[in-house]
Amino acid sequence: MREILFVAFSLFTIGAASGVFLARNPVYSAFSLILSFFGLSGLYLLWGSTFMAMIQILIYTGAIVVLFVFVVMLLNLQVNRENPSNLLTLGISAGAVWFFSLILLRVLTRAIPNKIPEIPTDQLRTISKLLFTRYLWPFEVLSLFLLVMIIAIFAITRTQEIPHGGEQR
Amino acid sequence: MEWTDIIITAIKTAVIYLGMVQVVPIMLIVERRGAALMQDRPGPNRVGPFGLFQPVADVIKMMMKEVTIPRQVNKALYLLGPFLVLFPASLVVAALPFGDFFTVFEKNYPLQVANIDVGVLYILAIGSLGIYGILFGGWASNNKFSLMGAMRSSSQIISYEIPLGLAACSAVLWYGHFNLREMVYTQEGTLMGVLPNWGIFYQPLGFLLFFISAFAETNRLPFDLPETEAELVAGFHTEYGPMDFGTFFMAEYMNMATMSGLMVAMYFGGWHLPWISDATLLQWLGSRNLLAALQVLSVVVKISFFMLVFVWVRWTLPRFRFDQLMRLAWRNLIPLGLINLVITAVIMYFRGAA
Repeated sequence: MREILFVAFSLFTIGAASGVFLARNPVYSAFSLILSFFGLSGLYLLWGSTFMAMIQILIYTGAIVVLFVFVVMLLNLQVNRENPSNLLTLGISAGAVWFFSLILLRVLTRAIPNKIPEIPTDQLRTISKLLFTRYLWPFEVLSLFLLVMIIAIFAITRTQEIPHGGEQR
Repeated sequence: MEWTDIIITAIKTAVIYLGMVQVVPIMLIVERRGAALMQDRPGPNRVGPFGLFQPVADVIKMMMKEVTIPRQVNKALYLLGPFLVLFPASLVVAALPFGDFFTVFEKNYPLQVANIDVGVLYILAIGSLGIYGILFGGWASNNKFSLMGAMRSSSQIISYEIPLGLAACSAVLWYGHFNLREMVYTQEGTLMGVLPNWGIFYQPLGFLLFFISAFAETNRLPFDLPETEAELVAGFHTEYGPMDFGTFFMAEYMNMATMSGLMVAMYFGGWHLPWISDATLLQWLGSRNLLAALQVLSVVVKISFFMLVFVWVRWTLPRFRFDQLMRLAWRNLIPLGLINLVITAVIMYFRGAA
Protein backbone atom coordinates (compact mmCIF):
# COMPACT_ATOMS: atom_id res chain seq x y z
CA MET A 1 0.00 0.00 0.00
CA ARG A 2 2.76 2.39 1.00
CA GLU A 3 4.73 1.63 -2.13
CA ILE A 4 1.71 2.08 -4.36
CA LEU A 5 0.90 5.40 -2.75
CA PHE A 6 4.50 6.50 -2.99
CA VAL A 7 4.63 5.72 -6.70
CA ALA A 8 1.25 7.35 -7.25
CA PHE A 9 2.19 10.56 -5.47
CA SER A 10 5.58 10.65 -7.16
CA LEU A 11 4.12 10.19 -10.62
CA PHE A 12 1.49 12.82 -9.85
CA THR A 13 4.14 15.28 -8.68
CA ILE A 14 6.40 14.66 -11.64
CA GLY A 15 3.52 14.78 -14.12
CA ALA A 16 2.21 18.03 -12.69
CA ALA A 17 5.72 19.48 -12.59
CA SER A 18 6.19 18.63 -16.26
CA GLY A 19 2.94 20.44 -16.90
CA VAL A 20 4.58 23.59 -15.57
CA PHE A 21 6.95 23.84 -18.51
CA LEU A 22 4.83 22.01 -21.07
CA ALA A 23 1.82 24.28 -20.73
CA ARG A 24 1.82 27.18 -23.14
CA ASN A 25 -0.42 29.36 -21.04
CA PRO A 26 1.36 30.71 -17.94
CA VAL A 27 -1.85 30.40 -15.92
CA TYR A 28 -2.00 26.68 -16.69
CA SER A 29 1.65 26.45 -15.67
CA ALA A 30 0.80 27.98 -12.33
CA PHE A 31 -2.07 25.55 -11.94
CA SER A 32 0.25 22.63 -12.61
CA LEU A 33 2.67 24.02 -10.07
CA ILE A 34 -0.09 23.98 -7.46
CA LEU A 35 -0.93 20.37 -8.30
CA SER A 36 2.70 19.35 -8.08
CA PHE A 37 2.99 20.97 -4.65
CA PHE A 38 0.02 18.89 -3.61
CA GLY A 39 1.77 15.76 -4.76
CA LEU A 40 4.85 16.79 -2.81
CA SER A 41 2.73 17.41 0.25
CA GLY A 42 1.24 13.95 -0.19
CA LEU A 43 4.75 12.51 -0.16
CA TYR A 44 5.46 14.31 3.10
CA LEU A 45 2.26 12.91 4.54
CA LEU A 46 3.26 9.45 3.45
CA TRP A 47 6.53 9.89 5.28
CA GLY A 48 4.52 10.80 8.37
CA SER A 49 5.50 14.44 8.53
CA THR A 50 2.13 16.12 8.73
CA PHE A 51 3.73 19.36 9.79
CA MET A 52 5.90 19.61 6.70
CA ALA A 53 2.98 18.67 4.49
CA MET A 54 0.80 21.41 5.93
CA ILE A 55 3.58 24.01 5.83
CA GLN A 56 4.23 23.05 2.22
CA ILE A 57 0.63 23.82 1.33
CA LEU A 58 0.34 26.87 3.58
CA ILE A 59 3.50 28.62 2.41
CA TYR A 60 4.04 27.49 -1.15
CA THR A 61 0.57 26.80 -2.44
CA GLY A 62 -1.28 29.24 -0.22
CA ALA A 63 1.02 32.21 -0.50
CA ILE A 64 3.88 32.03 -2.97
CA VAL A 65 2.07 30.60 -5.97
CA VAL A 66 -0.79 33.02 -5.32
CA LEU A 67 1.72 35.80 -5.86
CA PHE A 68 2.96 34.11 -9.04
CA VAL A 69 -0.56 33.86 -10.35
CA PHE A 70 -1.21 37.42 -9.25
CA VAL A 71 1.73 38.72 -11.26
CA VAL A 72 0.92 36.55 -14.28
CA MET A 73 -2.65 37.79 -14.34
CA LEU A 74 -1.85 41.41 -13.55
CA LEU A 75 0.72 41.66 -16.34
CA ASN A 76 -1.65 39.67 -18.54
CA LEU A 77 1.17 37.60 -19.98
CA GLN A 78 0.30 36.45 -23.45
CA VAL A 79 0.01 32.84 -24.46
CA ASN A 80 3.41 31.66 -25.57
CA ARG A 81 2.88 30.87 -29.23
CA GLU A 82 6.43 29.74 -29.87
CA ASN A 83 7.05 26.08 -30.10
CA PRO A 84 8.22 25.25 -26.61
CA SER A 85 10.14 22.16 -27.65
CA ASN A 86 13.02 23.89 -29.37
CA LEU A 87 16.41 22.34 -28.93
CA LEU A 88 17.73 24.61 -26.21
CA THR A 89 14.68 24.14 -23.97
CA LEU A 90 14.75 20.44 -24.60
CA GLY A 91 18.44 20.28 -23.82
CA ILE A 92 18.10 22.23 -20.60
CA SER A 93 15.09 20.19 -19.52
CA ALA A 94 16.81 16.93 -20.27
CA GLY A 95 19.90 18.07 -18.40
CA ALA A 96 17.83 19.12 -15.42
CA VAL A 97 15.87 15.88 -15.43
CA TRP A 98 19.08 13.86 -15.61
CA PHE A 99 20.71 15.83 -12.83
CA PHE A 100 17.77 15.65 -10.50
CA SER A 101 17.18 12.01 -11.25
CA LEU A 102 20.74 11.32 -10.16
CA ILE A 103 20.19 13.22 -6.93
CA LEU A 104 16.84 11.51 -6.43
CA LEU A 105 18.36 8.10 -7.02
CA ARG A 106 21.17 8.86 -4.62
CA VAL A 107 18.80 10.14 -1.97
CA LEU A 108 16.33 7.33 -2.42
CA THR A 109 18.89 4.55 -2.24
CA ARG A 110 20.43 6.14 0.82
CA ALA A 111 17.47 7.47 2.71
CA ILE A 112 14.87 4.77 2.33
CA PRO A 113 15.82 1.76 4.37
CA ASN A 114 14.06 -1.53 3.94
CA LYS A 115 11.90 -0.94 6.95
CA ILE A 116 9.61 2.01 7.44
CA PRO A 117 11.70 4.85 8.85
CA GLU A 118 11.19 5.86 12.43
CA ILE A 119 8.82 8.81 12.72
CA PRO A 120 9.58 11.07 15.66
CA THR A 121 6.52 11.16 17.90
CA ASP A 122 7.01 14.82 18.66
CA GLN A 123 8.19 16.11 15.32
CA LEU A 124 7.35 19.73 15.99
CA ARG A 125 9.57 19.84 19.05
CA THR A 126 12.31 18.00 17.20
CA ILE A 127 12.19 20.36 14.25
CA SER A 128 12.14 23.50 16.38
CA LYS A 129 14.94 22.27 18.62
CA LEU A 130 17.16 21.51 15.64
CA LEU A 131 16.22 24.78 14.00
CA PHE A 132 17.16 26.82 17.04
CA THR A 133 20.27 24.93 18.05
CA ARG A 134 22.18 23.12 15.36
CA TYR A 135 20.83 25.01 12.39
CA LEU A 136 20.41 28.40 14.05
CA TRP A 137 23.22 30.03 12.09
CA PRO A 138 22.10 29.00 8.57
CA PHE A 139 18.51 29.76 9.56
CA GLU A 140 19.36 33.30 10.60
CA VAL A 141 21.58 33.86 7.57
CA LEU A 142 18.76 32.73 5.30
CA SER A 143 16.25 35.07 6.92
CA LEU A 144 18.73 37.93 6.66
CA PHE A 145 19.24 37.01 3.02
CA LEU A 146 15.49 37.21 2.39
CA LEU A 147 15.35 40.58 4.14
CA VAL A 148 18.20 41.89 1.96
CA MET A 149 16.33 40.68 -1.11
CA ILE A 150 13.18 42.53 -0.08
CA ILE A 151 15.11 45.74 0.54
CA ALA A 152 16.91 45.34 -2.78
CA ILE A 153 13.65 44.89 -4.64
CA PHE A 154 12.24 47.98 -2.99
CA ALA A 155 15.36 49.92 -3.90
CA ILE A 156 15.15 48.83 -7.53
CA THR A 157 11.42 49.25 -8.09
CA ARG A 158 10.73 52.38 -6.09
CA THR A 159 12.62 54.94 -8.10
CA GLN A 160 10.37 57.81 -7.20
CA GLU A 161 9.58 59.10 -3.75
CA ILE A 162 5.92 59.46 -2.92
CA PRO A 163 5.28 63.21 -2.74
CA HIS A 164 4.73 64.41 0.76
CA GLY A 165 1.13 64.20 1.93
CA GLY A 166 -0.02 62.88 -1.43
CA GLU A 167 -1.50 59.46 -0.92
CA GLN A 168 -1.33 59.25 2.85
CA ARG A 169 -4.45 60.28 4.60
CA MET B 1 -9.97 -1.34 12.39
CA GLU B 2 -13.06 -3.47 12.11
CA TRP B 3 -15.87 -3.06 9.65
CA THR B 4 -18.12 -1.52 12.31
CA ASP B 5 -15.46 1.15 12.85
CA ILE B 6 -15.37 1.91 9.15
CA ILE B 7 -19.15 2.13 8.91
CA ILE B 8 -19.51 4.30 12.00
CA THR B 9 -16.69 6.59 10.87
CA ALA B 10 -18.32 6.89 7.46
CA ILE B 11 -21.69 7.74 8.99
CA LYS B 12 -20.08 10.21 11.37
CA THR B 13 -18.25 11.91 8.49
CA ALA B 14 -21.43 12.11 6.43
CA VAL B 15 -23.46 13.51 9.33
CA ILE B 16 -20.87 16.14 10.24
CA TYR B 17 -20.34 17.16 6.64
CA LEU B 18 -24.03 17.31 5.78
CA GLY B 19 -24.64 19.14 9.03
CA MET B 20 -22.15 21.77 8.02
CA VAL B 21 -23.74 22.08 4.58
CA GLN B 22 -27.01 22.97 6.33
CA VAL B 23 -25.30 26.20 7.29
CA VAL B 24 -25.98 27.43 3.77
CA PRO B 25 -29.80 27.36 3.66
CA ILE B 26 -30.02 28.48 7.28
CA MET B 27 -27.73 31.39 6.63
CA LEU B 28 -29.65 32.32 3.48
CA ILE B 29 -32.74 33.04 5.54
CA VAL B 30 -30.85 34.37 8.56
CA GLU B 31 -28.93 36.82 6.45
CA ARG B 32 -31.98 38.12 4.61
CA ARG B 33 -34.17 38.37 7.67
CA GLY B 34 -31.26 39.76 9.66
CA ALA B 35 -30.71 42.44 7.05
CA ALA B 36 -34.40 43.26 7.14
CA LEU B 37 -34.35 43.46 10.92
CA MET B 38 -31.44 45.87 10.93
CA GLN B 39 -32.98 47.99 8.19
CA ASP B 40 -36.40 48.06 9.84
CA ARG B 41 -38.32 46.26 7.10
CA PRO B 42 -40.12 42.89 7.12
CA GLY B 43 -37.82 41.01 4.74
CA PRO B 44 -38.80 37.81 2.93
CA ASN B 45 -41.83 36.57 4.93
CA ARG B 46 -44.15 35.12 2.26
CA VAL B 47 -42.84 31.59 1.66
CA GLY B 48 -43.92 29.30 4.46
CA PRO B 49 -44.33 30.28 8.13
CA PHE B 50 -42.23 33.41 8.85
CA GLY B 51 -40.70 32.99 5.40
CA LEU B 52 -38.82 29.94 6.59
CA PHE B 53 -39.03 28.22 3.21
CA GLN B 54 -37.42 31.16 1.46
CA PRO B 55 -34.08 29.29 1.03
CA VAL B 56 -35.90 26.50 -0.79
CA ALA B 57 -37.44 29.03 -3.13
CA ASP B 58 -34.08 30.71 -3.63
CA VAL B 59 -32.35 27.46 -4.49
CA ILE B 60 -35.15 26.35 -6.83
CA LYS B 61 -34.85 29.67 -8.59
CA MET B 62 -31.10 29.25 -8.99
CA MET B 63 -31.46 25.69 -10.22
CA MET B 64 -34.17 26.54 -12.74
CA LYS B 65 -32.42 29.46 -14.37
CA GLU B 66 -30.74 28.90 -17.66
CA VAL B 67 -27.04 28.15 -17.44
CA THR B 68 -25.15 30.40 -19.77
CA ILE B 69 -21.46 30.28 -20.44
CA PRO B 70 -20.23 33.52 -21.97
CA ARG B 71 -18.36 33.15 -25.21
CA GLN B 72 -15.20 35.00 -24.24
CA VAL B 73 -14.31 32.85 -21.22
CA ASN B 74 -11.54 30.33 -20.82
CA LYS B 75 -13.92 27.45 -20.48
CA ALA B 76 -11.89 24.95 -18.46
CA LEU B 77 -10.85 27.31 -15.70
CA TYR B 78 -14.18 29.12 -15.76
CA LEU B 79 -16.03 25.91 -15.00
CA LEU B 80 -13.41 24.82 -12.48
CA GLY B 81 -13.53 28.09 -10.54
CA PRO B 82 -16.59 27.54 -8.30
CA PHE B 83 -15.44 24.02 -7.43
CA LEU B 84 -11.97 25.20 -6.53
CA VAL B 85 -13.68 27.44 -3.98
CA LEU B 86 -16.14 24.88 -2.65
CA PHE B 87 -13.68 22.00 -2.42
CA PRO B 88 -11.32 23.47 0.21
CA ALA B 89 -14.29 24.95 2.05
CA SER B 90 -15.69 21.43 2.38
CA LEU B 91 -12.36 19.85 3.28
CA VAL B 92 -11.56 22.08 6.24
CA VAL B 93 -14.68 20.94 8.08
CA ALA B 94 -12.84 17.69 8.78
CA ALA B 95 -10.59 19.19 11.42
CA LEU B 96 -13.24 20.90 13.53
CA PRO B 97 -13.89 19.25 16.89
CA PHE B 98 -17.60 19.04 17.76
CA GLY B 99 -17.36 17.12 20.98
CA ASP B 100 -15.45 14.66 23.06
CA PHE B 101 -16.54 11.08 22.36
CA PHE B 102 -19.65 9.13 21.63
CA THR B 103 -19.99 5.48 22.41
CA VAL B 104 -21.35 2.79 20.14
CA PHE B 105 -21.03 -0.89 21.08
CA GLU B 106 -18.75 -0.08 24.03
CA LYS B 107 -16.33 1.76 21.80
CA ASN B 108 -15.45 5.43 21.81
CA TYR B 109 -15.44 7.49 18.65
CA PRO B 110 -14.23 11.11 18.63
CA LEU B 111 -16.80 13.66 17.48
CA GLN B 112 -14.56 14.93 14.74
CA VAL B 113 -13.98 13.68 11.23
CA ALA B 114 -10.21 13.52 11.53
CA ASN B 115 -8.17 14.23 14.62
CA ILE B 116 -5.31 15.88 12.78
CA ASP B 117 -2.18 16.48 14.76
CA VAL B 118 -1.66 19.91 13.22
CA GLY B 119 -5.34 20.83 13.04
CA VAL B 120 -4.88 24.60 13.13
CA LEU B 121 -2.31 24.47 10.35
CA TYR B 122 -4.52 22.15 8.34
CA ILE B 123 -7.44 24.56 8.47
CA LEU B 124 -5.30 27.57 7.66
CA ALA B 125 -3.48 25.75 4.85
CA ILE B 126 -6.45 24.16 3.12
CA GLY B 127 -8.62 27.18 3.82
CA SER B 128 -6.17 29.41 2.02
CA LEU B 129 -6.63 27.40 -1.18
CA GLY B 130 -10.12 28.73 -1.80
CA ILE B 131 -8.53 31.83 -3.20
CA TYR B 132 -7.49 29.90 -6.32
CA GLY B 133 -11.08 29.40 -7.30
CA ILE B 134 -11.64 33.14 -7.09
CA LEU B 135 -8.40 33.89 -8.90
CA PHE B 136 -8.84 31.42 -11.73
CA GLY B 137 -12.55 32.03 -12.00
CA GLY B 138 -12.03 35.77 -12.13
CA TRP B 139 -9.25 35.50 -14.65
CA ALA B 140 -11.02 32.96 -16.85
CA SER B 141 -14.12 35.16 -17.03
CA ASN B 142 -12.06 37.44 -19.27
CA ASN B 143 -13.75 40.52 -17.93
CA LYS B 144 -11.83 43.36 -16.38
CA PHE B 145 -14.20 43.67 -13.45
CA SER B 146 -13.82 39.99 -12.67
CA LEU B 147 -10.07 40.26 -12.97
CA MET B 148 -10.01 43.27 -10.66
CA GLY B 149 -12.10 41.36 -8.15
CA ALA B 150 -9.76 38.39 -8.34
CA MET B 151 -6.69 40.58 -7.92
CA ARG B 152 -8.20 42.33 -4.94
CA SER B 153 -9.21 39.04 -3.41
CA SER B 154 -5.75 37.55 -3.73
CA SER B 155 -3.91 40.52 -2.28
CA GLN B 156 -6.46 40.85 0.50
CA ILE B 157 -6.41 37.20 1.49
CA ILE B 158 -2.62 37.02 1.39
CA SER B 159 -2.34 40.14 3.54
CA TYR B 160 -4.85 39.02 6.12
CA GLU B 161 -3.43 35.54 6.35
CA ILE B 162 -0.45 37.04 8.18
CA PRO B 163 -2.33 38.52 11.17
CA LEU B 164 -4.53 35.43 11.17
CA GLY B 165 -1.46 33.22 11.29
CA LEU B 166 0.20 35.35 13.95
CA ALA B 167 -2.88 35.21 16.14
CA ALA B 168 -3.05 31.45 15.64
CA CYS B 169 0.68 31.22 16.45
CA SER B 170 0.15 32.99 19.77
CA ALA B 171 -2.72 30.66 20.59
CA VAL B 172 -0.66 27.62 19.65
CA LEU B 173 2.18 28.91 21.79
CA TRP B 174 -0.21 29.40 24.69
CA TYR B 175 -1.74 25.95 24.50
CA GLY B 176 1.47 24.25 23.49
CA HIS B 177 -0.45 22.32 20.86
CA PHE B 178 -1.36 22.47 17.19
CA ASN B 179 -4.10 19.98 17.84
CA LEU B 180 -7.55 21.53 18.20
CA ARG B 181 -8.78 18.75 20.50
CA GLU B 182 -5.92 19.27 22.92
CA MET B 183 -6.62 22.99 22.86
CA VAL B 184 -10.23 22.37 23.81
CA TYR B 185 -9.21 19.98 26.59
CA THR B 186 -7.02 22.64 28.21
CA GLN B 187 -9.94 25.09 28.28
CA GLU B 188 -11.96 23.11 30.79
CA GLY B 189 -12.73 24.53 34.22
CA THR B 190 -12.73 28.07 35.50
CA LEU B 191 -10.26 30.91 35.64
CA MET B 192 -9.89 32.37 39.15
CA GLY B 193 -13.21 30.79 40.01
CA VAL B 194 -15.34 33.35 38.14
CA LEU B 195 -14.62 33.22 34.45
CA PRO B 196 -14.72 30.14 32.29
CA ASN B 197 -11.23 28.95 31.49
CA TRP B 198 -11.49 29.99 27.85
CA GLY B 199 -8.80 31.12 25.48
CA ILE B 200 -10.29 34.55 24.95
CA PHE B 201 -9.40 35.55 28.50
CA TYR B 202 -5.79 34.57 27.91
CA GLN B 203 -5.50 35.81 24.34
CA PRO B 204 -7.87 38.79 24.03
CA LEU B 205 -5.71 40.63 21.51
CA GLY B 206 -5.09 37.43 19.59
CA PHE B 207 -8.82 36.82 19.39
CA LEU B 208 -9.48 40.34 18.14
CA LEU B 209 -6.87 39.94 15.41
CA PHE B 210 -8.21 36.54 14.48
CA PHE B 211 -11.75 37.86 14.42
CA ILE B 212 -10.95 40.80 12.14
CA SER B 213 -8.84 38.67 9.83
CA ALA B 214 -11.57 36.05 9.63
CA PHE B 215 -13.87 38.63 8.04
CA ALA B 216 -11.24 39.45 5.45
CA GLU B 217 -10.46 35.80 4.77
CA THR B 218 -14.09 34.99 4.10
CA ASN B 219 -14.61 38.08 1.93
CA ARG B 220 -17.31 39.37 4.21
CA LEU B 221 -18.28 42.94 4.72
CA PRO B 222 -16.64 45.26 5.75
CA PHE B 223 -13.93 43.55 3.69
CA ASP B 224 -15.90 42.34 0.66
CA LEU B 225 -13.74 44.32 -1.74
CA PRO B 226 -13.51 41.44 -4.26
CA GLU B 227 -17.22 41.75 -5.03
CA THR B 228 -18.04 45.39 -4.42
CA GLU B 229 -21.15 45.86 -6.48
CA ALA B 230 -20.76 49.63 -6.53
CA GLU B 231 -17.35 49.48 -8.14
CA LEU B 232 -16.90 46.11 -9.83
CA VAL B 233 -20.45 45.08 -10.88
CA ALA B 234 -20.18 41.83 -8.90
CA GLY B 235 -16.43 41.33 -8.77
CA PHE B 236 -15.06 37.90 -9.50
CA HIS B 237 -18.44 36.29 -10.12
CA THR B 238 -19.75 38.87 -12.59
CA GLU B 239 -19.77 36.43 -15.51
CA TYR B 240 -21.08 33.45 -13.61
CA GLY B 241 -24.48 31.88 -14.04
CA PRO B 242 -27.03 31.14 -11.32
CA MET B 243 -25.78 27.97 -9.67
CA ASP B 244 -22.10 28.81 -10.12
CA PHE B 245 -22.81 31.95 -8.18
CA GLY B 246 -24.67 29.74 -5.72
CA THR B 247 -21.57 27.59 -5.37
CA PHE B 248 -19.44 30.62 -4.55
CA PHE B 249 -22.06 31.57 -2.01
CA MET B 250 -22.11 28.11 -0.46
CA ALA B 251 -18.36 28.20 -0.10
CA GLU B 252 -18.51 31.61 1.52
CA TYR B 253 -20.98 30.44 4.14
CA MET B 254 -19.09 27.26 4.79
CA ASN B 255 -15.88 29.20 5.22
CA MET B 256 -17.65 31.46 7.68
CA ALA B 257 -18.83 28.44 9.61
CA THR B 258 -15.33 26.96 9.65
CA MET B 259 -13.79 30.21 10.81
CA SER B 260 -16.45 30.40 13.52
CA GLY B 261 -15.72 26.81 14.48
CA LEU B 262 -12.03 27.60 14.68
CA MET B 263 -12.70 30.62 16.87
CA VAL B 264 -14.95 28.53 19.11
CA ALA B 265 -12.33 25.82 19.46
CA MET B 266 -9.42 28.18 20.01
CA TYR B 267 -10.93 30.98 22.06
CA PHE B 268 -14.35 29.94 23.32
CA GLY B 269 -13.77 26.63 24.97
CA GLY B 270 -14.92 24.41 22.13
CA TRP B 271 -17.56 22.00 23.38
CA HIS B 272 -17.20 22.96 27.06
CA LEU B 273 -20.09 24.59 28.82
CA PRO B 274 -19.01 27.53 30.93
CA TRP B 275 -18.40 26.83 34.64
CA ILE B 276 -19.40 23.16 34.45
CA SER B 277 -16.77 20.50 33.94
CA ASP B 278 -17.43 17.53 31.71
CA ALA B 279 -17.02 15.10 34.61
CA THR B 280 -19.80 16.80 36.58
CA LEU B 281 -22.05 16.85 33.56
CA LEU B 282 -21.42 13.18 32.97
CA GLN B 283 -22.43 12.48 36.55
CA TRP B 284 -25.67 14.43 36.10
CA LEU B 285 -26.59 13.00 32.75
CA GLY B 286 -25.30 9.52 33.41
CA SER B 287 -24.73 8.76 29.78
CA ARG B 288 -21.79 9.41 27.53
CA ASN B 289 -23.90 9.83 24.43
CA LEU B 290 -26.18 12.34 26.13
CA LEU B 291 -23.10 14.30 27.13
CA ALA B 292 -21.84 14.10 23.55
CA ALA B 293 -25.15 15.46 22.28
CA LEU B 294 -24.96 18.31 24.76
CA GLN B 295 -21.40 19.06 23.65
CA VAL B 296 -22.42 19.14 19.99
CA LEU B 297 -25.27 21.44 20.92
CA SER B 298 -22.86 23.70 22.77
CA VAL B 299 -20.54 23.94 19.76
CA VAL B 300 -23.47 24.54 17.41
CA VAL B 301 -24.84 27.32 19.61
CA LYS B 302 -21.44 28.98 19.79
CA ILE B 303 -20.91 28.72 16.03
CA SER B 304 -24.41 30.10 15.44
CA PHE B 305 -23.57 33.05 17.63
CA PHE B 306 -20.55 33.87 15.50
CA MET B 307 -22.57 33.45 12.31
CA LEU B 308 -25.04 35.98 13.70
CA VAL B 309 -22.14 38.32 14.46
CA PHE B 310 -21.05 37.98 10.83
CA VAL B 311 -24.48 39.15 9.70
CA TRP B 312 -24.67 41.81 12.39
CA VAL B 313 -21.31 43.30 11.40
CA ARG B 314 -22.24 43.15 7.75
CA TRP B 315 -25.15 45.50 8.22
CA THR B 316 -23.40 47.71 10.75
CA LEU B 317 -20.06 48.69 9.28
CA PRO B 318 -19.54 50.37 5.91
CA ARG B 319 -17.13 48.88 3.41
CA PHE B 320 -13.48 49.78 3.63
CA ARG B 321 -11.62 51.49 0.83
CA PHE B 322 -8.90 49.32 -0.64
CA ASP B 323 -5.94 51.34 0.61
CA GLN B 324 -7.54 51.51 4.06
CA LEU B 325 -7.93 47.74 3.97
CA MET B 326 -4.26 47.22 3.16
CA ARG B 327 -3.14 49.77 5.70
CA LEU B 328 -5.21 48.11 8.40
CA ALA B 329 -3.53 44.79 7.72
CA TRP B 330 0.06 45.83 7.24
CA ARG B 331 0.41 48.81 9.55
CA ASN B 332 -1.95 47.90 12.37
CA LEU B 333 -2.82 44.24 12.55
CA ILE B 334 0.57 42.71 11.73
CA PRO B 335 2.55 44.80 14.25
CA LEU B 336 -0.13 44.06 16.86
CA GLY B 337 0.10 40.37 16.01
CA LEU B 338 3.87 40.43 16.44
CA ILE B 339 3.55 42.25 19.76
CA ASN B 340 0.98 39.72 20.90
CA LEU B 341 3.29 36.88 19.90
CA VAL B 342 6.23 38.36 21.80
CA ILE B 343 4.11 39.04 24.89
CA THR B 344 2.79 35.49 24.82
CA ALA B 345 6.31 34.11 24.42
CA VAL B 346 7.61 36.17 27.35
CA ILE B 347 4.72 35.08 29.57
CA MET B 348 5.25 31.47 28.58
CA TYR B 349 8.96 31.79 29.37
CA PHE B 350 8.37 33.10 32.87
CA ARG B 351 5.47 30.75 33.51
CA GLY B 352 7.66 27.85 32.46
CA ALA B 353 10.44 29.04 34.74
CA ALA B 354 8.18 29.34 37.77
